[in-house]
Amino acid sequence: MTRDRSPFAVALLCCAAPLAAQDFLVRSSRIVVAPDTVLTDSALLVRGGKIAYVGKDIPAEARAAAKTVDYGDATIAPGFVLATSTLGRDDDLAESAVAFTPDLRAAEAFDPWLERLGTLAGCGVTSVGWSPSPRNIAGGIAALVKPGAERGKVVVPDLFVALSLAGEARNRERAPTSLMGAKEMLHEALQTARVGVEIGPDVAVLRQVLEGSRRALVHADTFAELNAALELAEKFGFTPVLVGAREAEKALPRLVQSGAGVVLDALRPENRLAALGLPARLAEAGVPFAFGGPPDRLRLSAALAVRYGLDRKTALAALTRTPATLLGQQAAVGALRQGTAADFVVFQGDLLDLDAAHVATWIDGVRLFVAGANQTTAAAGER
Amino acid sequence: MLRSLSLLLLFCSTLPLSSPARGQTDGARTAAPAGVTAYTNARLLPGGAPAIAAGTLIVGGGKILAIGDATLPVPEGAAVVDCAGRTITPGLIDASFAGGANPDDLNEQGDEVTPAMRVLDSLDPEDPAFARARRAGVTAVHVMPGTRNVIGGLGCVVKTAGSDPAAMVLKEDASLRIVLGAEPSMGNRAIRGGRVESIYYRRPTTRMGVVWEVRRAFYDAKEALQQTMGAPNQPPSPGTEVLTRVLQGKLTAVTTARSEQDVRTALRIADEFGYQTVIDEAQDAWLVADELAAAKTTVLLGAPSADEVAGTAGADGAEPKSGTVRVLAQRGVPFVITTGSNAAALDLVREAMFAVRNGLGPQQALDAITVEPAKLLGIDGRTGRLSPGLDADFVVWSHDPLDPAAVAASVHIDGICVFSR
Repeated sequence: MTRDRSPFAVALLCCAAPLAAQDFLVRSSRIVVAPDTVLTDSALLVRGGKIAYVGKDIPAEARAAAKTVDYGDATIAPGFVLATSTLGRDDDLAESAVAFTPDLRAAEAFDPWLERLGTLAGCGVTSVGWSPSPRNIAGGIAALVKPGAERGKVVVPDLFVALSLAGEARNRERAPTSLMGAKEMLHEALQTARVGVEIGPDVAVLRQVLEGSRRALVHADTFAELNAALELAEKFGFTPVLVGAREAEKALPRLVQSGAGVVLDALRPENRLAALGLPARLAEAGVPFAFGGPPDRLRLSAALAVRYGLDRKTALAALTRTPATLLGQQAAVGALRQGTAADFVVFQGDLLDLDAAHVATWIDGVRLFVAGANQTTAAAGER
Repeated sequence: MLRSLSLLLLFCSTLPLSSPARGQTDGARTAAPAGVTAYTNARLLPGGAPAIAAGTLIVGGGKILAIGDATLPVPEGAAVVDCAGRTITPGLIDASFAGGANPDDLNEQGDEVTPAMRVLDSLDPEDPAFARARRAGVTAVHVMPGTRNVIGGLGCVVKTAGSDPAAMVLKEDASLRIVLGAEPSMGNRAIRGGRVESIYYRRPTTRMGVVWEVRRAFYDAKEALQQTMGAPNQPPSPGTEVLTRVLQGKLTAVTTARSEQDVRTALRIADEFGYQTVIDEAQDAWLVADELAAAKTTVLLGAPSADEVAGTAGADGAEPKSGTVRVLAQRGVPFVITTGSNAAALDLVREAMFAVRNGLGPQQALDAITVEPAKLLGIDGRTGRLSPGLDADFVVWSHDPLDPAAVAASVHIDGICVFSR
């Protein structure tokens, strides 16, 4: 325990200076800059919330001017990217009067003071696809958001469009109430967008999907729902990202052929073996996938998937690089290289082992979580 | 016993699927077996043709290659299955099958008139109803939307085994389901002040309201059809497009009407708009037989054995008679035996057996669950008979299929054994 704490003692000591002007040299014996690239005895230079230099690229003068934070033999890895979440705010993120609202913007429902944001750093989550709820067939446009030292922020206000064929999109009190109704609603809308006669903000969003300029995340769990989503994608020529995908294994050949990515729901130890082994089988088939679900379950999901046959590189990618890529944000988040946001987690041990200790989380160059410390205090210390 | 055991072993040895521990196979199809198999020494009931006492059925590549008596030469290299005098019929076809998906997904309640809904989009190949159908020797089914909408949408014909609905399809747009009677209006209510917090405050709330919805839909479709003729550039809405196909005779309407007044209404509306309809679950058809015969309207006789009225809580007030099937046959009303949505329905082959007990000829009863539904659904070029060139969909029965002890010994779809016991 004492040994574990020693790095923080160093870390906490050098928190006095104001952040904006201060560069940090974050050292560690093991830095996983990307799932397949590990630097040993290296450092990151954090400047203005971004990674300015990595490893031996760090100029000597910058190294000398920066405050050093030494994590000793702990491991640094990119922060986790949660591809899609409502952070428990479904009521505010589903326009319940109608099921088809592709032009609503989740960014406009984003409360920077949302309490749940404060818990993300403790889960290792550094950015979230803040998305309209899957309760609507076309929920609206998601935004990339991040927790901050004081309040959260919208980083990219205009991300993917959230579509849903999942059971929760079918509502007894408004159309559609059935899967065939849900698919028909989406089909008609895509058809309208393709024909190109009608104009309007809702049609425009779907037209962007057809043109490939906007990603579509489609919630679909059962075989029939996945099939419906993939059929629409094939017919209208777009590549979706499927969210949930509980029965993905049954639709695997079609899924592979479509090139679609998957955001899986959280795994739990009590899940059936088929569910626990699904990540490994998706990896084997070459389907890019990310872990999703509640933020506090991401690392557990990855650890369980590793226990049930997934290789560690893919598991780490499924927390970091893959979700970033599925959102089209791989240049900004999900990896540690020059120019990406300084979002990283520090673990004593391998973060894919459940007994590894979470040491710290940095978001945009600010330490928002320090093990054993009240996180607001930690953040305040930074400022 | 020893003989039947060896027979079973012989069956299974020719099957591509391995038998699970309980000695049964029941599952999805895999690839068609490469080789040719000859089923010899079988009593063949080919459907629409006389029985062959000691016949040979040769299948290969998923198709029926030849059928004949004992003199039919077995091709060299073919696997031979000695059926020991058992009966082979074509795979049974259930022309009104309530199952194949979660019931909630078969009724799009967003509106009462949803002609463009495709039941194929809701199908779940793992629905237990498919497994039950396979066990009962049923190899193709006509699945329609549920009975809670006035116009529910498009039905499809699928085989009962497979893992992908698209690969199971025999006919994609097979029918448009219209439902008369009490069921579509159930759950709807009138606004009597207060807050309107549900979509179910809507028409129809009565039987005549149900008919009004049908009439309005077809009236609008007819109007759209006339307008399109003037200005062909404006594409109709998907629902209107489906209804106009019915009006043009390109799509069969299936009207579910159980009681006498509903059957008469179904005939009247079809006549009014000039489209052909099939009447489904017509339990009161014996009261309207002459009119049905005059209109040459086919009846899907849902569960002729059932003495319960089909549908929710028997709200339709029909009077099922066990002799209906005989009356229809005598008066020349074309009919097909189905299981339909009746909760009291037996296996399809038992319904045919029941029809025989009530005066139908055995050949006619078997045709009513094989050849006739195939013709009605427009899939007779694929299945419904044992005839060269058709899909190798057939059932080996333990006894004569109309014998009360008969069970399917093995069921084959596209030449692949999908069930055996």
